[in-house]
Amino acid sequence: MSLSRILYLYRRMYVQQLKAILEYNKDFYILLASAALTQVLGFVFLWVIYDRIPDINGWQFWEVAFMYAMIFLTEGICSLFFEGTWRMGRLVNQGELDRYLLRPAPMILQILCSGIGINGIGNLVIGGLIVWQSLLHADIHWSIAKVGILCLLLVTAVIIRVSINLAGNSAAFWIRNAGNAFPLMVHSLADLAKYPITLFNQGIRIFISTVLPYAFISFYPATYLFGKAGWSGWWMLAPVAAAASAAGAYGIFRYGLSKYESTGN
Amino acid sequence: MYRAKKYRSIMNRSLQNVLAYRTSYIITFLSNFVNLAAIYFLWQGIYHGREELGGYSWDQMKTYLLVTFLANSVLSWYSETSISGKILDGSVSVDLLKPIDFQKARLAETLGSSLLEGTMGLILIGLFTLFVSGIPLPSSPMIYLLFAISLLAAMLVKFGVVYLAALLCFWSTGSMGIVWTRIAVTNLLSGALVPLAFFPGWLERLAWFLPFQSIVHTPTMIFLEQASMPEMLGLLGVQCFWGAVLWLAGKAMWSWAVRQVTIHGG
Repeated sequence: MSLSRILYLYRRMYVQQLKAILEYNKDFYILLASAALTQVLGFVFLWVIYDRIPDINGWQFWEVAFMYAMIFLTEGICSLFFEGTWRMGRLVNQGELDRYLLRPAPMILQILCSGIGINGIGNLVIGGLIVWQSLLHADIHWSIAKVGILCLLLVTAVIIRVSINLAGNSAAFWIRNAGNAFPLMVHSLADLAKYPITLFNQGIRIFISTVLPYAFISFYPATYLFGKAGWSGWWMLAPVAAAASAAGAYGIFRYGLSKYESTGN
Repeated sequence: MYRAKKYRSIMNRSLQNVLAYRTSYIITFLSNFVNLAAIYFLWQGIYHGREELGGYSWDQMKTYLLVTFLANSVLSWYSETSISGKILDGSVSVDLLKPIDFQKARLAETLGSSLLEGTMGLILIGLFTLFVSGIPLPSSPMIYLLFAISLLAAMLVKFGVVYLAALLCFWSTGSMGIVWTRIAVTNLLSGALVPLAFFPGWLERLAWFLPFQSIVHTPTMIFLEQASMPEMLGLLGVQCFWGAVLWLAGKAMWSWAVRQVTIHGG
């Protein structure tokens, strides 16, 4: 199937989901506001702490704010455009996956489009705002190459995020009870990457740089942008981490799909 | 007495339900434990090279984190979403037919699941203390007694907040936004993220004026013996006050909310 066909199908399915959501516009605004509020309060947390100390392990306020906001920014993009992974638990548990299996469209595409997280807009706006402010307040010498690399790092960050969400939610194929909390645990490990990973011991650093490469969403881009000595060059592994994450997540998903058994109803 | 018996059976059922879904519970707690570890390392980095911050020594901060973890263990995501879930999926209409007070039934339910949640919390804290040294503990048994009472009162206050937030689902068709908002506000203003003493003056005074500080900050103040005995008793009084106010508010809101029931074709 050609790329243009895939994009066409994505857009059509996305618009349908959008129509459904706008039917309940009260929820639309509540989710929007709650996501923004959650992020602002996290920002207040950092602000309160930095009001009393100049740095944490050598990291300044706006540098940590950047890392913090990158987690939310990528989360916002994932929620807004690839929320469907979070529906997998219910799809598997209630046997609705059968309907998707019968359609002449890529399974992965249908899964990713099965939902829209409106809260993503709130995360996107506030996260983007804080990232922008972080870049303004830091002493960065800009160049065309730097802007290009920043965009690349943002893309790899989103890919990593979506991949981890997909892999985590694929646990639905094996943990079949409703309300399975495993994907939530995987997702919440992103909290470790809201702060400099230099705070943690070596084991944790390796874990969130390899198994669940959340560090490539926030920490390594920050080392590049803010020119941290001792970490130069690490950001170059971001595309590698993104490709590996995508391949790994897709592999887990396909394997889970091969294990899928419908419910008997 | 017969009246209390039906609520106790609800509590038992809730506890059994938790045990039935123990895999999800264990995973959720591991998730919370990861967060505790992350916050611990963050504060360790903050305190690096510093003796004291905002009136708290590093040892006191460690204790603060553990007490906060315990206070947050009870009345978890599960309890919250099960209350709002009843309203959203319409099963609340079945409850309306029963000779049971909805609010009391929900409290009994959360108490049941909180028994396990609290126990799990204590176990994890015990494990954590094996790896972390220098955590000061109170010497007087009176402190432990007051702390236990304070935790119970904190649960009542938290239930009040959660219940009021859940009732908002009568006016909306989704619970995620409401839950997230409540969690964010409660976490900040209760002192779950950072001690209230770290706040700028105006924010600290605002937090003291609201009920949220009774959920986390008060239990930690008692355990860390940061207040004199009369002050501790006063704080307990404030907790009970908020517990009562929120309970009555929940009652009033419920009688108003039931008129907003929207039945979807089922």
